[in-house]
Amino acid sequence: MIILGAVAPLGISGYWLRFITFIFMWIGLAGSLNLLTGYTGYLDFGHVAFFGIGSYGTGVLMVKLGMPFFPAMLISAVLAGFLAIIVGIPTMRLRGAYFAIAMLAFAEAMKQVVLEFDGITGGGNGLSLPIYTNYQFFYYAMLGTVLLLIGTTYGFENSKFGKGLMAIREAELAAEVTGINTLYCKLIAFGISAFFAGIIGGIYAYWMTFLYPGDTFSVLITMRMIIMAFLGGAGTLLGPIIGAAFLATIEEILWAEFKYTYLIIVGFIVVFVVLILPRGLVGLFRQRILAR
Amino acid sequence: MILQVLLDGVLIGGIYASCAVGFSLVFGVLRIINIVHGEFLMLGAFTTYWLYKIYGIDPFLSIPLSCSLLFIFGFLLQRYVINRIIDAPEIMSLLLTFGLSLIIANLALTAWKGDYRLVNPGYAGANFKIAFFTVPYVRLATFIFAMVALAGLYLFLQRTDIGRAIKATSQNKDGARLQGVRPSMIYAVTFGLGGAVTAIAGSLLSMSFSVFPAMVGDYLLFAFFIVVVGGMGHIPGTLAGGLILGILQSLSTNFIGAGMTYILIFLVLYVVLIVRPTGIFGKGLV
Amino acid sequence: MTKNFGNLIALQDVDVVLRKGEILGMIGPNGSGKTTLFNVISGIYAPLSGEIRFQGQAITNKKPHMICRLGIARTFQIVQPFGQMNLLENVLIGSMYGRGMPIETGRNKAEEVLYFVGLKDKMYLTANEVTTEDRRRLELARALATEPQIILLDEIMAGLTPAEIEEALKLLYEVNRRGISIFMVEHIMKAVMTISTRIIVLNYGQKIAEGSPKEMAENPEVIKAYLGDRYV
Repeated sequence: MIILGAVAPLGISGYWLRFITFIFMWIGLAGSLNLLTGYTGYLDFGHVAFFGIGSYGTGVLMVKLGMPFFPAMLISAVLAGFLAIIVGIPTMRLRGAYFAIAMLAFAEAMKQVVLEFDGITGGGNGLSLPIYTNYQFFYYAMLGTVLLLIGTTYGFENSKFGKGLMAIREAELAAEVTGINTLYCKLIAFGISAFFAGIIGGIYAYWMTFLYPGDTFSVLITMRMIIMAFLGGAGTLLGPIIGAAFLATIEEILWAEFKYTYLIIVGFIVVFVVLILPRGLVGLFRQRILAR
Repeated sequence: MILQVLLDGVLIGGIYASCAVGFSLVFGVLRIINIVHGEFLMLGAFTTYWLYKIYGIDPFLSIPLSCSLLFIFGFLLQRYVINRIIDAPEIMSLLLTFGLSLIIANLALTAWKGDYRLVNPGYAGANFKIAFFTVPYVRLATFIFAMVALAGLYLFLQRTDIGRAIKATSQNKDGARLQGVRPSMIYAVTFGLGGAVTAIAGSLLSMSFSVFPAMVGDYLLFAFFIVVVGGMGHIPGTLAGGLILGILQSLSTNFIGAGMTYILIFLVLYVVLIVRPTGIFGKGLV
Repeated sequence: MTKNFGNLIALQDVDVVLRKGEILGMIGPNGSGKTTLFNVISGIYAPLSGEIRFQGQAITNKKPHMICRLGIARTFQIVQPFGQMNLLENVLIGSMYGRGMPIETGRNKAEEVLYFVGLKDKMYLTANEVTTEDRRRLELARALATEPQIILLDEIMAGLTPAEIEEALKLLYEVNRRGISIFMVEHIMKAVMTISTRIIVLNYGQKIAEGSPKEMAENPEVIKAYLGDRYV
């Protein structure tokens, strides 16, 4: 399958290339959230902030400082990870619900920062990046990031660190009392998760060439990340992949529908997942397989 | 000049407090963060709007109606939907209320479209002057109403049997059960109560601000801010938090600029979370 | 080995010494502050005044994970297993994080401890899948895997049948024999009186008596606390 994925862009049309690149992007975003939420159980309602920091960071560095793409993107992603840790320190000491909404506030604040400092960021008028139309490049960039993310997720699943995170998710107090420095572990997971969101943001910025704060920091992006991660199955390797592919496909099909109706359906999907399928689609498959 | 700004802040702060108290109550008792809270505000506001638009009912008079409607709605919602995950990990209630809010908000958007609506009876916009203050009638009246609602809720919880049962359940669910209280009923009543108060707040808001389905956005964050600063689950704290937010916003918008206000609010929230996560009175649940 | 003077709203002037190798039982009516004391020792609550010393070192304001790594482990009154992880993984957390072992050595230790508590044959089942009694053993196993010097047991025998209690006592004797000091809260009088070398009694957050099990059974204050004035 990986070989297929690697070779595909050479033969497919513009529409499909774009569509699949988008799917990769969403797998990456859902996957980045999954690193935090799936493994520690902390839901981040403001994760789009890191996507935005990655995007705008890359944009500003390229436009104002003339930096080439890769360094700009990397620096922005590292910045995203770093900010995550800073914001995480007070908020992760409290229960998960506080963290979730505090992050929502953070995302809003970040949007405002971009709007306020419009001398640098272009504010409400948006930011234009240098044009680069080699769409195959973006395909590979997104794919590469996703592969790296999958590798990291696999690492989480099987390492001492990852198991520590899962323990935090299952019974945080017990984890702390059994020797896990929960704050430290949570912060690291958060930082890595934000880093990946930042990378995706950076690639997105260069790909789309134009950034607008309302879109780039939109809470709708966080919503989709969350839904994809949980629909697929949080805390699993394949979850974000299945969730992203599934939702992206549904969206394409329902595109003809009125935008608001689609969101209602999505809302029902979320409720359905919580009440009936808390382990997501992956969980459903596992149950089916184990039941035999 | 600055005193006027402060006064404006206090008046709006009182209303903000009433917006947040339902959120605080629900968290204090059910231990869930209720994302649908924003939708309750919006529905309360819309109830007032439609009653005014279609039947010409004065907004203040519509309050008992919006209040009762949303009490019932909240009660049923908790009893039959939210109660299913009450013992599940927190993240599930976050997701569930998130999904519900998506459904309700977008149903509203589909039904009523996104236009901004205004509730403006004859007396809107009029104000009176005292000393060097200009006080809009509506703002003052809604402020007073908000205070009455807050006081009413507080007294209800302290003095009535149901109120005490609610408090008992929030402190010790099993202990309360032994005293003959049914937690699931209490949860439903509390949620309904939270919804009712929030509906009142929504109705009050509709008199000063435009009404539209997406209006929820900021208010959820405001409610969170108020509840963290004031102390989660502590009603007097919610009042303090509301006033602080109102004053902060008023000062900031007038002297610094509307955009910076959000950043400032976030920074204050951040500092409070570091320094005093249990709120200024230290009575919040963490 | 440990000595504490505690002062919290729920505890007042509680002065406890746990000597190396002993089994200290703590009894008292519900709400007398026993679990609170455990929470203070394991670092979950900070005392308003007083200090906790362990092997000559003050550990009063240390975080719970540090206290575990220093050698004090605990179990919870309501068991807190890592539900979706299997029994081996649960105990592995103890050996990896509580004792700092890498994953391979930790695994060996975990298997050994699981064998000790009698859960080895179920080690690939998830914690959610096993019985409550097994989860109690699991909780003990997880604590033991951290190779503690002291273990705090919070009502570990609640709800067990007499036969299960006998088994549990045997296990605990063995744990003690291997050099681990035990500080246990129990309501099951027969069990705690049998196994403890010493007993302290709490009531309304204060220590009201201390001594050998025999002395406690005859102590009027203790009887009053449990049964009321009429029985003295």
